[in-house]
Amino acid sequence: MTTLPLMESALLSTVAKSLVQIEIEPRPLIPARPLEAGEQYRFHFDMTKCIGCKCCVVACNEQNGNPAELNWRRVGELEGGHYPHTQRYHLSMGCNHCVEPSCLIGCPVEAYTKDAKTGVVLHSADTCIGCQYCTWNCSYGVPQYNAERGVVGKCDMCHNRLDDGMAPACVSACPEGAIAIEIVNVAEWRRDYLSANAPGLPSADDSISTTRVTLPENLVPDTGRVDLHRVEPEHPHWPLVFMLVLTQLSVGAFAVLWLLDMLGRGTGLTIAALASLGLAGISLGASTLHLGRPIYAWRALKGLRRSWLSREVLTLSLFAGAASAFAGMLWFDMQGRGIVGMLTFIAGIAGVTCSARIYVVPARPAWFSTYTLAEFYSTALMLGPLFVQMLEGNVPSWVRIAAIAGASSQLITQLLKFLWLSRSEVFELRASSLLLSGRLQNLFVTRLAVLGVAGVVLPLVATRGGIIAAAFAAALAGEWLGRYLFFVSVVPKNIAAAFTSGERRAA
Amino acid sequence: MNWKRTVGLDNLSEEYAFERSESTGYTSAKKIPDHWVPTTCGYCSVGCGIEIGVKDGRAVASRPFAMHPVNRGKLCPKGLSEHYTIDAENRAKYPMLRKNGKLVRVGWDEALTVMTERFRATQAKYGAESLGVLSTGQLVTEEFYTLGKLVQLGFGTNNYDGNTTLCMASAVSGYKVSFGSDGPPGAYEDLERADVILLVGANLADNHPILCQYLEANRNKTLIVADPRVSKTAMMADMHLPVKPRSDLALLNGIAYILIRYNLIDREYLEKHTAGFTELERFLEAYTPERVAEITGISQEVIFKTALLYGRAKAGFIGWTMGVNHSTLGTATVNAICNLALLTGHIGRAGASPFSITGQCNAMGTREAGFTSSLPGYRKFDNPTDRGELAAIWGVDESRLPAKRGLAYPDIVEAAVAKKIRALWIIATNPLVSYPNQDVLRHGLSNLEFLVVQDGYHPTPTTELADLVLPAAIWGEKEGTYTNSERRVSKVNQAVQPMGEARSDFDIFLAVAEKLGWRDELYPGWTTVEDAFNEWRRVSKGRLCDYSGISYALLAEHGAVQWPLTEGAAPNGTSRLYTDGEFQTADGRAKLICADWAPFPEQPGGKYPFVLNTGRTVEHWHTRTKTREVPILERLSPRAWLEMNPRDAKVLGLRSHDSVDIVSRRGRVRAVELRLTEITAPGQVFMPFHFAETNVNEVTQDAFDPISREPNYKQCAVRVERSGANS
Repeated sequence: MTTLPLMESALLSTVAKSLVQIEIEPRPLIPARPLEAGEQYRFHFDMTKCIGCKCCVVACNEQNGNPAELNWRRVGELEGGHYPHTQRYHLSMGCNHCVEPSCLIGCPVEAYTKDAKTGVVLHSADTCIGCQYCTWNCSYGVPQYNAERGVVGKCDMCHNRLDDGMAPACVSACPEGAIAIEIVNVAEWRRDYLSANAPGLPSADDSISTTRVTLPENLVPDTGRVDLHRVEPEHPHWPLVFMLVLTQLSVGAFAVLWLLDMLGRGTGLTIAALASLGLAGISLGASTLHLGRPIYAWRALKGLRRSWLSREVLTLSLFAGAASAFAGMLWFDMQGRGIVGMLTFIAGIAGVTCSARIYVVPARPAWFSTYTLAEFYSTALMLGPLFVQMLEGNVPSWVRIAAIAGASSQLITQLLKFLWLSRSEVFELRASSLLLSGRLQNLFVTRLAVLGVAGVVLPLVATRGGIIAAAFAAALAGEWLGRYLFFVSVVPKNIAAAFTSGERRAA
Repeated sequence: MNWKRTVGLDNLSEEYAFERSESTGYTSAKKIPDHWVPTTCGYCSVGCGIEIGVKDGRAVASRPFAMHPVNRGKLCPKGLSEHYTIDAENRAKYPMLRKNGKLVRVGWDEALTVMTERFRATQAKYGAESLGVLSTGQLVTEEFYTLGKLVQLGFGTNNYDGNTTLCMASAVSGYKVSFGSDGPPGAYEDLERADVILLVGANLADNHPILCQYLEANRNKTLIVADPRVSKTAMMADMHLPVKPRSDLALLNGIAYILIRYNLIDREYLEKHTAGFTELERFLEAYTPERVAEITGISQEVIFKTALLYGRAKAGFIGWTMGVNHSTLGTATVNAICNLALLTGHIGRAGASPFSITGQCNAMGTREAGFTSSLPGYRKFDNPTDRGELAAIWGVDESRLPAKRGLAYPDIVEAAVAKKIRALWIIATNPLVSYPNQDVLRHGLSNLEFLVVQDGYHPTPTTELADLVLPAAIWGEKEGTYTNSERRVSKVNQAVQPMGEARSDFDIFLAVAEKLGWRDELYPGWTTVEDAFNEWRRVSKGRLCDYSGISYALLAEHGAVQWPLTEGAAPNGTSRLYTDGEFQTADGRAKLICADWAPFPEQPGGKYPFVLNTGRTVEHWHTRTKTREVPILERLSPRAWLEMNPRDAKVLGLRSHDSVDIVSRRGRVRAVELRLTEITAPGQVFMPFHFAETNVNEVTQDAFDPISREPNYKQCAVRVERSGANS
């Protein structure tokens, strides 16, 4: 006789358990009392009740008038065990209204506030300039960019409804009562926020999520996301690809010009200086195209206290200013250039550093390492000297060696990073490596080959202007390609998704 | 694009503004309507109360109708977004007639003239029966009743059936065989009041999620779910019985065996109210626990436990849906379920019922208003008294009423293949997605001389084949009533004007009758759907499904009520049938039926090693003509998938997200996304049936229940191969 095993969950204890439950009043879905000092609102999600109907998602979109592509509340699927002892659960998540909201910390324009009364993390669409930095900072993929509006948006717990004593849309739509609003004491939660973690959720350590998740008893240990085999390349952010490489080039070039000037090659550098300045200007201008609302780019200086993006804007602006002065002084052969050149160099290095720090965020694990810094510095070190050499022709050999060092360092950085990714047991890191060795393999190999040829071999063997120009052009294209890969190959942390969801698959 | 938006001065703040309104609270301003129109949801048979928000003459919002007794202030994701189905791109807006091979826009008058002339010419040439009609549980009861008169008394053909035959015909047949009449005996509140609930082939969490509230509210229940898949509903169960495909009938017989053997039966009830116990007892001797365990794959211990739980329950409830109905043994399986209820007396009491949960919003109304598998009011074609009653009410000669049922849905298709049906009128259904074995259907339709498709949407795979497309008003654009799974009659109201030149099905039927000069005889003095309803009330009076006490005025005042409700009775409706143990048979006794299990017709093996199961997902409705128009539902469920156990995939060298073809003896479905999952057992695969683009019914089997004529959608033999590998 063939007998399949039985999925039988606590049948015998049902009666006893249900007797106990009858005595418990059903928990109200929104708080019955006002908040006291040190408290905030939070979501409670009961995974044992959710049946995965996605009413909450639809209700949220209707409540907020959002297009279908944006979902401030999402439902993910989890699966574990083996047939017929399979376990299936769902995870419904809006914003976690974290104690240390990484969206808020990163925002350059202070569009985010943590409401003093409710603890709700609020976002102002009027303040937002659409830089999308918050979408990289959140480990849960909560803030979503609305391209139609040019600003980000996110779940605000329907706090205006709560103020009126009404339940948020998701809470009131759930047929199973799986979502509720609770009051949490923030200090206590900081001490123990273990129940903010669940299968299918990134670690609550990143930002101290306040959402409490009730998990099923006897959850099998392998219960996890069902969407792990669908890894799509991320958005390339073309204006940033363009801008990052050119600013780094410009910083590298001014560093070389400054040193050459200090070492007595004071004349004839004007063309290179003006060209470098031109590239820096173009790239900084172009970078505003990345913004949903470019006209408000100036607001990005508001968040200096917290945001690396604000700091990048400041340092690169200082760099541009100093570089202009330095170029002008070169042009008119003015005295005291050494100091200005040094200031240009310092501001430039600071700018590249701030640029890199933007990307070093826990929510994007493949960026969250010193490789990001190394990659950006290497670009400056390779392209700057090559650029100057191309324009100036006859330069000391240390310039060539610097370019070769930059290219070598970039090559080593890329290889080590790939090794790190591919040997990691962290899903997002490994998935990044699989993108690079899979769908993006041709581009990745091309990028490495260009580095080797244009950055190392050609500068080693050739000094002729034409070849150096070709080497520079190839190296520049290679760095653009590299930065493109940097953006598309990162696999962000996110909450579990459904097996089929989102856009139609590419053919 | 406007420059202010490009530079960022404008962030569409008006479009995304919020407002506080008394009726909605703080919400997106564009979703706040001028007024709300209460109605009933047009998707499934749960029959939820819903309100359509209307702003400037357009439907902009949907919300649960708080006063409605069924849904308790909740809706499923389809209901919450139902307003998007109305103002949709793919709506049929104008009559379209095929001229020189192409569908071109024509006026209504030309459309109806051509239609009636072609139908009558076909009938004149090949006989009245050469016209077939396929309609639907999507119509309101009034329309279905009106259509029935038009087809049977006007056109004089009984080759008329509904898509309900693809859905719950087995429940109808089963009830008729066991209880003498159709009519679900229980009510939703029984889900709350039962202490043991057995769901057989019913995935409520995906298909009827709003009913899960009733389960959730029932703290005292033991929930047992028999399903070969670990469905979302199986996850809600205290016990999941992972039965082998279509072994449910054996399981039910095995439970009956144990109930009798261990005297867990209600002998008094059996003696008073049933017939056939001795035969059943003898018949069940073949269903020993050993054999049933062998057939079902469920251990004897668990079969015993299930039987003991149900037998000892204070109020035992058995619910089922398509896992039971979609089967060549559908009627027999329903009989076996009814047997269990009768053996234990778990019927006609609070919480105790054998209960079919129906599919479409008005499948029940079409069952009662009849003309397809029975005459209106659960009357029988072959009963002269029934025919005489009806003829008298209508004032027509009895000879005009057919004395037997005409062809059922699959037999109409077969008759088209055999060129016996020469003209066909398809109303609000999409067989080019939903019919099993599409090859046969396409062959049949290609034989027709004239095909009329009346639908709210165009193009659909079916309207594309039509010679004439009639644009119909849909849910939200017309009035009438739906009757839900628990016999609750609920008002459907018009919120907005029909799209383009679309007209309500009711208007179309009246206009066709007018063209043919039948209107005064068939519909004397009718101008509104309420006239049809009032005649239907008279027709149903005194029958089991008595609507005579239900008027539009009563529905407006008291909300949705359950039939039977006799004229003059208190407006509470009736929660349960058969509370007195009197059934609709000649002797008033329910019949215990000996229903023998057999393996499903196409067993896996050889080139076709997998059993293919089909079903639904919560985001979509049937053939997706409506839900593909709803962006959020498409976002949540954009395409079909095939579930396969990783153990099988390993052997085939397949991985999740691979594109695979599913091949049976009848056809091939191309490029389906593979999902490796432990939801589905090794040796079985599962695919949703909503998607025209990847239509599982290219491969399903056209095998039908001998009594209900319902297709065996849930099991057929297939193989799975990598797309492009061997095609």
